[in-house]
Amino acid sequence: MTDNASSLSPLIHLVDDDAAVRDGLSQLIGTVGLRVRAWADPQVFLAEFDRVGIGAIVLDLRMPVIGGMTVLERLLAGGVDHPVILLTGHGTVEMCRRAFKAGAAEFLEKPVDDEVLIEALQSAVRQHVRSRERHRADRQARECYAQLSPREREVLGFIVEGLTNKEIGRALTLSPRTVEAHRANLFAKLGMDSLAQLIRRFASIAQA
Amino acid sequence: MIGTGRGGPARLGVAALIVWVVVACAGAAFLAHARLQELRADFETDGRIAHRRISQRVVQYDAVMATLTLLQPAAVEGGAPVTRLASVYPQILTVLQRTAAGAWPTLLAAPLAAAEAASRASGRPEMALADLRAGRYYLVMAGSPASYALQIDLKATVPYDEWPMDVASSPVRVTLELGDAAFVVQPGRARQASLGWTYDFHKRLMVRSQPLDVVAHRTVELRELPWLAILAWCALTAGVGAGGLAAWRQRASRRRMEELLRLGQVARLNALGELAAGMAHELNQPLTALLSSTQAAKRLLVEDPPELDAARTAMVRAVEQAHRASAVVGRLRRLVERPDLAADVQPLSLAAATQDVLRLLEPDLAERRIATTVSTDPGLPSVLAEPISLQQIIHNLLMNALQALEQVPPGERRLSIAMTAAEHGQATLSVRDQGPGIAPEARRRLFEPFYSTRPGGLGLGLTLCESLAQAMGARLTLAPQAPSAPRGAEFILTLSSASASHDR
Repeated sequence: MTDNASSLSPLIHLVDDDAAVRDGLSQLIGTVGLRVRAWADPQVFLAEFDRVGIGAIVLDLRMPVIGGMTVLERLLAGGVDHPVILLTGHGTVEMCRRAFKAGAAEFLEKPVDDEVLIEALQSAVRQHVRSRERHRADRQARECYAQLSPREREVLGFIVEGLTNKEIGRALTLSPRTVEAHRANLFAKLGMDSLAQLIRRFASIAQA
Repeated sequence: MIGTGRGGPARLGVAALIVWVVVACAGAAFLAHARLQELRADFETDGRIAHRRISQRVVQYDAVMATLTLLQPAAVEGGAPVTRLASVYPQILTVLQRTAAGAWPTLLAAPLAAAEAASRASGRPEMALADLRAGRYYLVMAGSPASYALQIDLKATVPYDEWPMDVASSPVRVTLELGDAAFVVQPGRARQASLGWTYDFHKRLMVRSQPLDVVAHRTVELRELPWLAILAWCALTAGVGAGGLAAWRQRASRRRMEELLRLGQVARLNALGELAAGMAHELNQPLTALLSSTQAAKRLLVEDPPELDAARTAMVRAVEQAHRASAVVGRLRRLVERPDLAADVQPLSLAAATQDVLRLLEPDLAERRIATTVSTDPGLPSVLAEPISLQQIIHNLLMNALQALEQVPPGERRLSIAMTAAEHGQATLSVRDQGPGIAPEARRRLFEPFYSTRPGGLGLGLTLCESLAQAMGARLTLAPQAPSAPRGAEFILTLSSASASHDR
């Protein structure tokens, strides 16, 4: 929550070639306090939109040059982590399946009801924030882990497996006292206060 | 009506003609060959019989001579043996006897003496003084003390009473030959150099003393071939071939028509599918804008304080979008009116069109054991319609009836089609089924697009029929439910008659 981007309110990117639709939807989304940036041209959108900020993307499926499905594929190929909501005027089951398979967060039919759209947008934003936080925590944990000495990493590995100091000492042919010292060091380096916290944050990294 | 595939049938006709010519020729050749074989066999049999009969007669002379020389009857000049022999054997003209001291008649002395010498050497009768042209020869047998000579008449020798052929009319020429000379047994038909076949039979008599050759000859002329049978065969194969070709063509044209109808349906459905997708998008855009604007306005108005300016902007946009949606509908309406159909309207037979479609659906009707009755008003006029559209309408109506009838037990599946001349120079086609009928609710909505009572039905069949009918100036209606007939449904297609066209 201390990140720069998330300090601003989330930004919704609305991509639709129809000006009236853009205006109407922008205004509607604006009424719940979400910021909206409307894009008429999907290619301009792909080239220019802010990938760092928190938010979500609303894509119309049927657009003249490149359709919503293509835009979605390009976004995912470019590593964009924004949730994508697809809008369509004539959704078929098949199209819906394709959209979810391609990674869409939501698939809504036009004309869309305000509550459905707003609920979908808010849920998408929450999802985006959570995924960004998870990523950030993950990155921090990896940085801390990198500071550990090889011996400390070994000890950490045994700790997350649930071994006691004695058992770790036997496994590494160290005295329990030495193991105790390593243990204290790695708790300090990783900034952890409890064993539970340590295991939750580092189990996946240590066992990788 | 169908402009494609003109080259196919022509090529097919040529191919069929070639096949027919080959088959006809092969059959004709077979028939001719069989007749020739038969004639040849008859000829050879007759030849063999003639040969045996003549041989049997001639061999009697040997026996006569042997008897004479053995018995040596009284050597009386012109005596008893001669008269007796001549009465028993009319073919023996004279009997000559040369006693040991006597001599042969002077005029014949030299040849008879030579034959006698030869006979004495061979021990059997010998021929002398043969004149085959006249049908005469002598047979000489040396004996002791007397030698004998017989003069034989060939004409009397030939056993005409037990002859295998009709001597006067038979085309076979039979001769008895010795060297170059020949005696004509049966004249037959003169040898001809014309087209035809010739058979020959040549066999020497089985009598060593009289080495005559039985020669038979026969020509078979072209006119003797079994022309009637050949003609009948050609006619038969031509008939069968033409029938087969016609059936094949009919099947092909029927298949093509089916194809055409199906293609027409698919094309129309595709077009309709495209139209529906396009319509959905075209309409959903303004509707989306309209809905979101009004909902935004509603939200803006309930805020405290209400954001009146923004709400006003939203409502202005909503109005604009409502107009836009209405314009889309108007445009679509003009798009689907299809004014071009009216141009292809032409006079045609309603009964024929109905029969065509019935023929197409015959297997379907038979499969479902649907009893179909068709009644045609004798005064039914030609109608004005576009052929494909008319067939499509009839096809769809019949298909609907067929599907309705599937819902009742097979014994109750009755379908009646009636074509009648109506007032105002019109003609009507009524398609009535005894199916479960149409619910009142469905009756109202029947012609609406995308309305179907069938699960999985597109709901476009009747809509399409109606618009096709309208496009060619016809009318498709559902007959009101008669209280007397609680079940079933009746659709009526009303068409203008061709004769009334100038009024329109």
